Order: sequence, then structure tokens, then C-alpha cells
Amino acid sequence: MLPNSPPFRPRRRAVLGGMLGALALTGCGTLGSKPKVREWNLFGGGDGARLLQIHDQYVAEHPDVAFQAHTLAWGPPFYTKLAMSAAGGRAPEVATMHMSRLKGFSPTTMLDPIPVDLLENAGVRQSDFLPATWDRCVIDGKLYAVPLDQHPFVLYYNLEICKKAGLLGPDNKIKPVMGVTPFLDMLRAVKETTGKYAVSVDTTSPWRLWWTLYGQLEGEFFSPDGKELVIDDAKALEALDLIAKLASEGLTPRSANYAALVAQFSNGEAGLSFNGEWEVTTYQTAKLPFSMAPFPVVYDVPKFQGDSHTFVLPHQAHRNADDTKATIEYIAWMLKHSVEWAAGGHIPAYQPVVKSQEYLDLKPQAEYRSVAPNVFYDPDAWFSGSGAQLENESAAAFSGIATGQATPKSALAQFKAATQKLLDTPSPV
Amino acid sequence: MQRPDWKQRWGGLFFVAPFLLLFALFMLWPIASGFWNSFFNTSLAGVKHEFLGLQNWRDLFGDPAVWSSLKNTLVFTAMSTPPLVIIALIMALLANRKGLLGWLLRFSYFAPFVLPATVVTLIWVWIYQPGFGLVNGLLTAGGFAEIDWLNTENRAMLAVVITTVWWTVGFNFLLYLAALQGIPTQVYEAAAIDGANGRQQLFRITLPLLSRTTGLIVVLQLVASLKIFDQIYLMTNGGPNYATRPIIQYIYESGFTSYRIGYASAISYLFFAIIVIVAVAQFKLFSGRGEAAA
Amino acid sequence: MTTTTMPTERRPAAPAPKPAHSGSAKPRWTFAGTATAVGAVLLAVLWLVPLLWALDTSLKPEPETTRAPITWLPEAPTGDAYRSVIEQGDLIRWFVNSTVVSILVTTLTLFVSVLAAYGFSRTTFPGRRVLFGLIIAGILVPPQVLIVPLFQEMTGLGLVDTYWGIVLPQVVAPVMVFVLKKFFDGISRDYEDAARVDGASRWRIVWSVMVPMSRPILVAVGIFTFIGAWNNFLWPFIVTTDPSMMTIPVGLANVQGSYGLRYAQIMASAVLGGLPLLIVYALFQRHVVRGVGDAGIKG
Repeated sequence: MLPNSPPFRPRRRAVLGGMLGALALTGCGTLGSKPKVREWNLFGGGDGARLLQIHDQYVAEHPDVAFQAHTLAWGPPFYTKLAMSAAGGRAPEVATMHMSRLKGFSPTTMLDPIPVDLLENAGVRQSDFLPATWDRCVIDGKLYAVPLDQHPFVLYYNLEICKKAGLLGPDNKIKPVMGVTPFLDMLRAVKETTGKYAVSVDTTSPWRLWWTLYGQLEGEFFSPDGKELVIDDAKALEALDLIAKLASEGLTPRSANYAALVAQFSNGEAGLSFNGEWEVTTYQTAKLPFSMAPFPVVYDVPKFQGDSHTFVLPHQAHRNADDTKATIEYIAWMLKHSVEWAAGGHIPAYQPVVKSQEYLDLKPQAEYRSVAPNVFYDPDAWFSGSGAQLENESAAAFSGIATGQATPKSALAQFKAATQKLLDTPSPV
Repeated sequence: MQRPDWKQRWGGLFFVAPFLLLFALFMLWPIASGFWNSFFNTSLAGVKHEFLGLQNWRDLFGDPAVWSSLKNTLVFTAMSTPPLVIIALIMALLANRKGLLGWLLRFSYFAPFVLPATVVTLIWVWIYQPGFGLVNGLLTAGGFAEIDWLNTENRAMLAVVITTVWWTVGFNFLLYLAALQGIPTQVYEAAAIDGANGRQQLFRITLPLLSRTTGLIVVLQLVASLKIFDQIYLMTNGGPNYATRPIIQYIYESGFTSYRIGYASAISYLFFAIIVIVAVAQFKLFSGRGEAAA
Repeated sequence: MTTTTMPTERRPAAPAPKPAHSGSAKPRWTFAGTATAVGAVLLAVLWLVPLLWALDTSLKPEPETTRAPITWLPEAPTGDAYRSVIEQGDLIRWFVNSTVVSILVTTLTLFVSVLAAYGFSRTTFPGRRVLFGLIIAGILVPPQVLIVPLFQEMTGLGLVDTYWGIVLPQVVAPVMVFVLKKFFDGISRDYEDAARVDGASRWRIVWSVMVPMSRPILVAVGIFTFIGAWNNFLWPFIVTTDPSMMTIPVGLANVQGSYGLRYAQIMASAVLGGLPLLIVYALFQRHVVRGVGDAGIKG
């Protein structure tokens, strides 16, 4: 127990927990007496590898916990499974969830609230987070999620290629550019050097790029009451036109999925990459000479599409007190060790770690931490958030822009119609 | 003599009871409860269950996603059925031989059918991969431009159909092979004595005798193709731009991804009705023709 | 949709009687015959290429898989991908799940279907015709349209993420009852009468007369039920959410994300996932081919 935590209340809990534990023990015999923590996450690629390492360390330090982690395919498959397991009653003890998905997940029925006293016992307090982050996790006065990190859309750059293209400053970092023309000049210089592309992007889901650009143009999406679509056509088109231009000039591929995005930056076909910051580990493992920086401020204000990973407790029909306690302790442990997680690219949400020298020494992971306050979350709606329907609709509508199968105008019209249809659908939560 | 009498009258029920119990629990009950739910706004999240009347049904007919996914289902069926029948027939004619070669041919043609959908799609997504996949590797080696098969609207369905043919043609092939092997050899002997050459035997004897089997295969294949979900969900997830999303995927997405159990139940019933109509019409047509031939 | 051949007069299928198709396939060399054989082999090779390419990729070291232009054979074959896939552990668990589920589905399906088929074929009880008609109608019901209400039902019964939840709905196979009933109808009643004279009950007649007499068809439908259960994707995909309860097809689909973009590993898991049934099929090919002819048809 931590020295400054309230001494009295937890003890009663502990007694109760102990009694329940004893009951469970007599009920299940000796084999089932270890508290169990089953964790589901959606981390693939570099993140997945990183998480495996961190979990190995957790398991080594906690031989008294039956721990099991599972990775499910990112996006709709993960969230659909999680919802079905919560509805089915046999959900795992803990799962990761994007902050932007929290409200749409029907937290009051599909999640169990997080016992704040247990969290404090484990040494994690509200004051350890940025207030804006914490507040997003509280619904109807109850805490439903514990934030782990923030993950903005950033710029990756290949040091060798950018050096040849004359884009690096004396400190060997990429010189920041601002405005559309300098941005395009930078990309053209890279394309000349690689002879193929300037940037690797995921043309099949341009949401992150578009939402970043649209945010930098200060575009609005929903009306404050969330009932009307107030998208600014001129600004939306300006951002889409830029995406079309990048492809038609050959600065980005006309067609590339996520796998291709990673491959093209890895094999030097592209000297830059626009992506979330989570592929650090992949490129480091590949011994690629690269670094990272905030995504350029192409338009008016610094805004960078992003989200946060959080921990939630999916609803269980029969929640076991021992398991819950071990689960909360697992969450706290993960936050305190989030510098290892940050090595995978994410900006920790737990402020004691953000201020630690260990984190500040991480290169290139600490290079873009300044963008944290400017992370631009997806619009607020039950069908919005990372991997949710709104993003899928944007992918469906916008993926034709780079290939030339759709014009920005027609794509925007399709996207608006689809969004309107979602707005008109009665909310199931 | 009361007991044996009772036993005689009702004892048979004992044999069918286990099946009937499961049949009632896992077929009749969901059919009924699905129908019931289609009049409610039942939510997977468990927050809502209010009577809506015909609202779901009205929404359904005005929902373009229902019609586009239904269209995709029909397009897939139309594209996949002919090759699945014709190639199966060719394979059966080629593989109807003895010895090691026959065994190897039968093994090769049918082998993909025993693979799970996921294995098939993992392999084919990899084959279609731009940049370093097999198909594009061959295209570029031959001097052609690459095609991003699964991410191009008018190519994705074709890619799925090719995969499906490769995967499932083996079953139809076996049906044809069984039918071929059921043709008495005397028929051919007689024809040979009459001086019929190989081609004449094929077109005058073999193919006409296979017409019943063909009818059967077409029926089975149409219904199987209409139920398309696995490959598309796993290869394109219905994309790009929903160009391949079949109706079952839309049911899945409405019910489980968007939590709209009531609405998904209503769509299920629309699809159910279509399947039944197609199956009954086919069956009528087929059995009618069968009688005429007999 | 009728079974036209009876067990007693079944034609041995795979190797046809001696002068097979004497007209078209004489041992004598002909140009047409050779061309057909070459075509047949080419088609077979085409059909095997995807499998071989998967095997080929799985033996490459990871960086070689994404090299452009592609390499045909691994420069230095390695089993690393297989080792990593197996060490991740889940695959073995899914293999066990698939085995348990497929065996349960196959035995239960055969058990209840044989009983029901016998009941409808040989006994009379009030409502028999109506019930049989209902079951025939059930053939038309595609299981795919039931996923939503069936999942709701499983939630209510607490069977989500359990073996029974995966197995029981798959056991309901009206077409099996139909096929077996037709087959039983064709078996002469003399055998049963003889057994009855010896004092056998109807229960014993099912297992000691009907089942042995329909062994070939039971083997055939058993194999197809097994393949179907092993490969079933949609229902296990719906009713399992816990990765440790998933079967091979569902697990591979859901957890592929954790392999990231490591194609050698993805292909290694595909090869491992496909291998068991390929082996089963290679061993039982004769039964499979013959079974299709016998059952006249499944579907």
C-alpha cells in the first residue's frame, strides 16, 4: 500500500476481498486459487511485438497471477468480438479500447466501472493524468477507462534519403516545413531522390490524413448537439484535392494498403511515411536509418489526428473480486511501465512517466511529444472512433481518390450521404 | 396387453426425439425468435427492446446498403456458378482414369476443398498482394502493369470468384466423377462397335447422360453461392467501397458490429425468403425436367 | 435427389471394371490421348501452385518474402516461421478445439440422424408425416440466416464460448436425416424380420442391422460431416469470442493481426492449418470419391 493512500477504506475492501477469495478457494479447490487476468488487445505489427515483451516481464514478476493475453485483428473484428463477449457474459477481465470508442460502446451495459479505490491502492490517481484525458473516461460520474497513451499521426523520414534530398538541418533532423507549397516542395525533393515515391501512405483508408488536414483547416464536423452534419465543403474538398494531387503527381502510390505502406518505407521506395507513430519497432528491427517528427502544419493550425488507448473492464456476468483486484493491479503496472510501451512510439498518458528522463531519452519516440495537446480525436458519435463505421465510410468513399476512380467531389458527396445515413439511424446505445 | 400397444403406437417417437429436440431448439426457436425480434429495436448492448411495429421492415426497403449487398451476392452467384460447373465437368472428364495418374489428378483437383476458408484466403491474399505477390510478380515479369486486385473496385469480385473456383470446384468435380463412373461401360463398348469415335462418344453419350447431374449441380451451386460470406469477409472485408460486401456480411455488421439485433433479424428474413424462392423454383424446374427425362 | 444405387448392387467406383472405356482410352498411343493427359496434368499443376507457393513462402526467411522482384525458391530454406508460429501457442490450442468440436459434431450428427432416419423409415406414430415434412422443409433453411437469433439464444443459455455452443447447432442436419431415411427405405425388411424373430428389440436392430448394412454411406457422410465441421467458419466465428475457445479457421482469421506483416509466419500457419485435413483426405480419398456416388448426394 502506498504511504499517502487513505488507510481505512481499502482495508474493509481487503477483508471482503479476502473472504470472497477464501470462498472461491474452498469452492474451486487449490488449482483455481490464482487470480486470473485475461487481457484482450488489438495490437499488431510492432506494437504487438512490444506488448509481448512487456507482458513477458509482467508474467515474470507476477507468478501469483494466471495471466493470458490475446491479440485480435485490429478494428471492427476486435470491437465486434469484444461487444459479443460482453453480451455473452464470458468476457475477459480486461481489454484495450480506443478512447474514441468508449461512448459508442454502451459503457453502462457493456463495461463494468473501474473501482477507483482499487486503482488508488495500486498507486494510480486522477492527478497522474492530463485533466482533459481523464475527463473523457468518466461517464455518468463513473470511471470506465484508464488511459494508457496518446497516438498522433506523425511523419517518419528516412535519414539517408532525406539527407541526399537536402532536407535535414545541421542537427540531422528534418527541417520543419509549414504551408502547402513548402510541403509539396519537400515531397518533390524526396521523390527525385528515391526515383519512385516521396511518401508511403495507406490509400485504402485515408481517414487519418484527411482528418489531420481538415483539422488543420479548422473544419467543423457535427453541430455541438451532435445531431447535424455541418461539414465545411470547401475545406473538406481542399484537403481531398491535396490527397488527389499527391497521388496524381506520383508523390504517393496510387494504390497501397497498410502492408504496402510499411513495405515501401522499409525498402526505400518512399523516403517519408505518413502514419501513426506505432511502427517504430518495425523499422528499428529492420535497422532502417530513420527518425520521426510531428506531421507538418500544412494549413492554418497544428492539429494531428490521433486517439488514446485505454484499459476497460468488459462486462462479466459473474465478476470475481480477486480477479478484479489483480486486473486493476495489472493496469497500474502497465501504466507505471509505460516507458517501455512508449518505446513502441506512443506518448504515455501517465504523467510521471512522461516527465521521466528515461522517456525523454527515447529517440525518436520523444521527438513528437509536443503534439500531445493537439491530438485531434475523431468526431463524437456512436458510429465514430478508431475503426468504427464512420472511418469505414470514409475509407470506402475516399480510397478511390488516389487511384483516380473517384473525384474528390464525388467522394465527398458519397461520404456525406453515408454519414447522414448513420446520423439518421436510431442509436442502438 | 396395454403396454405393447402403447409402445407400438408411440415408441417410434423415441427414435426421432433426440433429433427433434435439437431441431426445435436450434432451428425452430431461432426462426421464431428472429421473426419476433424483427419487430423490435433490440440492441446487442442490452439497452433497448421496444416494439417498433413494421419500422425495421420499412427501413430495410429504403436502405441502399441492403440492396447493394444483395446485388453483390447475386453478382457473385452469377459470376461463380458457370465456371464452377463447367470446370468441374472438364476436370471429371480428365480425371476419370485408372492408376497413379488418376489418383494424383483426383487429389490435386479436390485437395483445395478440404482446406478451411481462412487457410484459403490467407494464401490468396498473399498471392494477390501488390509488390511481392505471385500474380503481380508474374504480371510484372511478363511486362504488364500491376493490379491491386483486392483494392480495386472492378477487380475485387473477380479475384474472389477465382479464389472460390479454385477452392470449391472440387466438390462439383466429385459429383460429376461419381456420375461418370456410374455410366455402364457397355454403353461405350456398343458405341465403339458402331464405330463412334471419342468425340462422338463424348457429345452423343457422355454429356447427355450427365444432364441430370448437371441440373443437380446447378441447383446446389446456386444456393451455395448465394450464401457467400467467408471468403469475402476474410479477403476484402466487403471492400473496396463495399463493392464486394454480401448480404450475410451486412446482416453480421448490422447485428453485431452496430448492435442492431432487431434490424439484422429483419434483413435475415428478407434473405431467407430469397433463398427459399430460388431453391423451390429450382427444385420444381429440376424435378420437372427429371420426370420428363425419365 | 434420390439415391439410385443400392448397397448390394453397388458398382466398385474408383477402379472401373477391366476394360474401362475401351473406346476412348485404349492403351494404344494416340495423339488425342496424350494431349488430354498433358492437359489434365497442367490443370492439376495449376491447382497445386497456390499450395506450393504457400509452402515455398513459409520456408523463406522473413525479409526474403517481401523482396521485389520475387524469388522463386527460398535461397536458404528455414523452419523459423514454423517455430515462431508454434511457439505462440494458440495454434495448438485451436487444433485441439477443432478436433474436439469436429469429433463431437460428427458422432452426434450420425447418432441422432441414424435414430431419426430409422424412426421415420420403419416406425409409425401419430404425426410422423407432418414431422417429416417439417424436417424436409428444414433443408431449405440456410444456417446463415439464423446467426443473429441463434447468438441471442446462446447468450441466454450461457453457451457462448463453450464447446456445446459451437457443436449443438451444427448437429441439426435435416438433409442427413433425409438421405439416411431414403437409404434405409431401400434396405429390405427381411433382415430386420430375421433379427426380430431372434428376439432383437428395435433399438438393437438399429445398431446391429441397419448401421452395419449402411456402413459405406455412413463412412461417406461421416467424412463429409467431419470436413464440414472442421472447416466451418461462420458459426464458430459467431459463437466464440474467447481466442482460447476458437477453432483453427476462426482463430487464424481473428488473430492474424498478431503476426503483423510477417508473411512467412502467415503462410506457415496456413500450411499447418490446412495440413491435417489434406492428410486425412489423402488417406481416405477412395472413401470420399465413392461416398459421393453412394450418398447420391448431399445437399
